[in-house]
Amino acid sequence: MKSSIYTRAVAVLASAALLAVSACSAGSSTSSGSSPGGDQNLSIGLVAEPASLDFTTTDGAAIPQALLGNVYETLVKQDDSGKIVPSLAKSWTVSPDRKTYTFDLVDNAKFTNDSQFTADDAVFSINRVKTAWTTSLKAAMDVVTQAKALSPTQLQVTLARPSNDWLFRMTTRVGAMFSQRGDAALATSPLGTGPFKFSKWNRGDSIVMVRNDSYWGSKPFFQQITLKYFKDATALNNALLTGTINVISTVQAPEALSQFTSNDKYQVIEGTTNGEVLLSFNNSLPLFKDIRTRQAIRMAIDHKALLDTCWAGRGKLIGSMVPPTDPWYEDLTGVAPYDLAKAKSLLQASGAAGKTLRLRLPTLPYATSCGQVVKSQLEQAGLKVRIDQLEFPAAWLTTVFKNADYDLSIIAHVEPRDLGAVFGNPKYYTRYDDPTLQGYLAAADSGDEAAQVDNLKKAARRLSEQAAGDWLFLLPNLMVADKDIKGLPTNAITENFDLSKLAR
Amino acid sequence: MRRLNPSLIAGGVIVAVIVAMALVSFVWTPYDATLVTPSSRLLKPSWSHWFGTDKFGRDVFSQIMVGSRTTLFVGVVAVGVAAVIGVPLGILAAMVRRWPGEAIMRANDLLLAFPALLLAIMFGAVFGASTLTAMIAIGIASVPSFARVIRSGALQVMRSEYVLAARAAGRQPFPIAVRHVLPNVTSLITVQASVSFAIAVLAEAALSFLGYGTPPPTPSWGRMLQESQEFLFSAPRLAIFPGLAIAIAVLGFNLLGDGLRDRFDPKLEDRR
Amino acid sequence: MILRLIERTGVFLVSLAVSSVLVFAFMAVLPGDPARVALGVNASDEAVAELRRQFGLDRPLPTQYFDWLGGLLHGDLGTSYVSKAAIGPQVFDRLQVTLWLVVAGMVIALAIAVPAGTLMAARHRKVSGLALSAVSQVGVAVPAFLAGILLIVVFAVKLGWLPANGWTPPAQDPAMFLQQLILPALALGLVQGAVLTRYVRSAVLDVLREDYLRTARAKGLRPFQALWKHGLRNAAVPVVTVLGLQLATLLIGAVVVERVFVIPGLGSLLLDGVSNRDLLLVQDVVMVLVLAVLLVNFLVDVLYVALDPRLRTA
Repeated sequence: MKSSIYTRAVAVLASAALLAVSACSAGSSTSSGSSPGGDQNLSIGLVAEPASLDFTTTDGAAIPQALLGNVYETLVKQDDSGKIVPSLAKSWTVSPDRKTYTFDLVDNAKFTNDSQFTADDAVFSINRVKTAWTTSLKAAMDVVTQAKALSPTQLQVTLARPSNDWLFRMTTRVGAMFSQRGDAALATSPLGTGPFKFSKWNRGDSIVMVRNDSYWGSKPFFQQITLKYFKDATALNNALLTGTINVISTVQAPEALSQFTSNDKYQVIEGTTNGEVLLSFNNSLPLFKDIRTRQAIRMAIDHKALLDTCWAGRGKLIGSMVPPTDPWYEDLTGVAPYDLAKAKSLLQASGAAGKTLRLRLPTLPYATSCGQVVKSQLEQAGLKVRIDQLEFPAAWLTTVFKNADYDLSIIAHVEPRDLGAVFGNPKYYTRYDDPTLQGYLAAADSGDEAAQVDNLKKAARRLSEQAAGDWLFLLPNLMVADKDIKGLPTNAITENFDLSKLAR
Repeated sequence: MRRLNPSLIAGGVIVAVIVAMALVSFVWTPYDATLVTPSSRLLKPSWSHWFGTDKFGRDVFSQIMVGSRTTLFVGVVAVGVAAVIGVPLGILAAMVRRWPGEAIMRANDLLLAFPALLLAIMFGAVFGASTLTAMIAIGIASVPSFARVIRSGALQVMRSEYVLAARAAGRQPFPIAVRHVLPNVTSLITVQASVSFAIAVLAEAALSFLGYGTPPPTPSWGRMLQESQEFLFSAPRLAIFPGLAIAIAVLGFNLLGDGLRDRFDPKLEDRR
Repeated sequence: MILRLIERTGVFLVSLAVSSVLVFAFMAVLPGDPARVALGVNASDEAVAELRRQFGLDRPLPTQYFDWLGGLLHGDLGTSYVSKAAIGPQVFDRLQVTLWLVVAGMVIALAIAVPAGTLMAARHRKVSGLALSAVSQVGVAVPAFLAGILLIVVFAVKLGWLPANGWTPPAQDPAMFLQQLILPALALGLVQGAVLTRYVRSAVLDVLREDYLRTARAKGLRPFQALWKHGLRNAAVPVVTVLGLQLATLLIGAVVVERVFVIPGLGSLLLDGVSNRDLLLVQDVVMVLVLAVLLVNFLVDVLYVALDPRLRTA
């Protein structure tokens, strides 16, 4: 009896050992390959992992952040000061009526499947936006009537009307160049002409890219870059502290920054972004039809105290939907200054005092944090505020974004030059319908450069004066990195994270 | 004998303090637990703020007091759900004939395969994350332990002389259940309730940490713990207070359960 | 004994089947159209309808259920709606990671519980026993993630002895793997150890009072020998039973620990799936978790029969 038990025990242990041996590769599909610290390798920590690798059918800033400019390239791109400069197109001319663009393309760019990049690929990519893309951003290509390849290196694009915006949009994801021959599995294996090649996607963990050694431009310093995704802001910080990553691309727990600023081993970068944290009003509600209510809400919020309290004072106060890096930026914070007494009296006058508003927040750190301050401040002005938390992305997108079933919400709009998208379209979740504003936007797009700047300034001012929403603050570009990493951008003004400039 | 053992006393005192704190919080707290006061951010503990303040300038002690309400609410709902479903289930399983009784217990065991957190996450996704949905999910997940314990207790009662006599006399099962079985398993219910209460508190803390628990700004010890993460370097006290509160509450209910078990369990009377 | 085994197997299979129906039904109720979430909010209705057709979401529910079940039995877990990647390899890989974590945690828990529990039982009326009992009570009261956070702060951030988070497969870098495993396994194991200690103590105490031990002592065996030869095997029975029950707790404790230590295990896959409304993924992961728990309980039942000679002739 005893021996049979021991035999059984041995058998169990043996099979357990066998299982263990076979499990030795556990997690290999989610590991990030060789650890950082190898001179040629870099590991960057990010939040918000992409849901898929195909930004033609999946919304969200995470995908272009990783792939645009690194794996995929565009005809033109933005430099650090926001100017549009050549990329796959080495030069271009615009016809006098500003409706026809002729691009001269580089002749030595190749996709990583070894096929040459030609004007035919460009035509294919441009046409594809209208036919195959499903995200809302595809509308940027609606103004194009025709794209033609005049020769393998010459591309002609004709627009229905002059549009300043179109060329700018060509620097974003909409302008990404795809290969005619490699369309198939975009969601899991991207294929582009860029300085990096996509290597591996370890779902839930990281994306690995390797240097494209046959890149047509100047080759990047790093041989391999790993983008590691963290859901937890503290884990992200800890990863840098313990050497698992070399760069934190965005600090989501700004209070914890002090442990880095006091430490010589690290550099801290603080700049601006395109991320306007918007306290949106559901403008279709009767409650918000009265401008006094909207202005009162803006004036009830002490933005400086809010920023200090909920985001450690890091970030810039803005008065409208324009970041300081856009050419038409003006400081409009004085339009609705903090004035609690005035806010109270405005609410009394419009009859909104004592009403209950639903503040529906996505489960994002800045929203959860700042939402509590907003509630407290609005209640001091005489409103009642009820906070709901909606899971992001699924629940918030359906409830607030699609169905506009909310009174107030908070979300950061990070796309560049999104004033028109957010407030110019009455069907957008802000439900803001203002013909005057729409007029300014149309004039800005079709006019010349000076007209564009002038009209957009007017548009921003209009939004602020009409209190179409409230701009809590502009998200800062907070990065922390090992001291020896060079090439990190101060301001994050593009939707891609340019990895090619990084070096040690 | 040792009717009032140390566990019972210690546990009872801790639970009483928490209940008292929750009740008092309805009437008075040193400060408003949800008022954002930027000028008093991150203050260290002092005579004016006994536990200091958090990043919104809210008094931590007041938050702990109001948070105890959430904790107790959590426990009461979870245990209530578990008991209301589990006790009748256990008694039923004990009273019916062999085969259906076994079947009920098997179904009961099936529920064990769905741990509390899993159910709570799924419920939260369907019905929206809130304290109530989380607690109902945890309550459902606690049903199996109640049912099992009650069933074995009920089986014992069923074998006692007066129940056998009642059945022989032809009494209907339902009155037997109510008059004889239920009163005799009350002690078991009390013990299990304490234990399940402790588990519910831990589960709520974990859920709040994951973001599926009590939404802000209602104070909740679990969420306070999650919010304190940012400050582990600069102000670790913000994690210590809610962490201690959770641990002490769980400890209290566990001790209470142990103490009650010792008190009610006749076998232990002559422990040598 | 054979009859018992057959009965247990039957119960296991029926439980599995019923669970699958429950899981499927629950996911069918989940609001939020997965096709729409996958495509993004601005997708046209036609695109959403087309994707629903592609994923077979427009078929009647029973058909979908049996297709899914059939796939599972063949080992085909389907394709994720959101990432378009095959689910099977992901789940399999993540499962191994979670298993390493859970097993390591259980080993630590047992390493703590068996000696501590036995000691506490042997000295249950002495001061040292009471002190240990108090410590174990505190251990039970601390949530695993709190233990994890504290461990990170002390050992990773302040002392720098171990990495704060991350995961490396054992085959790739065994040293790193071990280093990264220690803290999360401790977080799980310490708490679980405290829970198990109390069960071990209670089981050993029960055994200490039994007559056969006194008989063994009367026969001349010293106390420790008596305990070892006769007591432990009988004490093992309830402890093994409890291990099975505790597995469910441990698996879910692993979910939170995975979040704190950024470990790509099954728990984080589940949370991601729920967050993205990746219906099929969540269904598959929940089923795998349920299968694991039911399987362990089944094995425990079998082990129970093997360990306890009295049950053999039942």
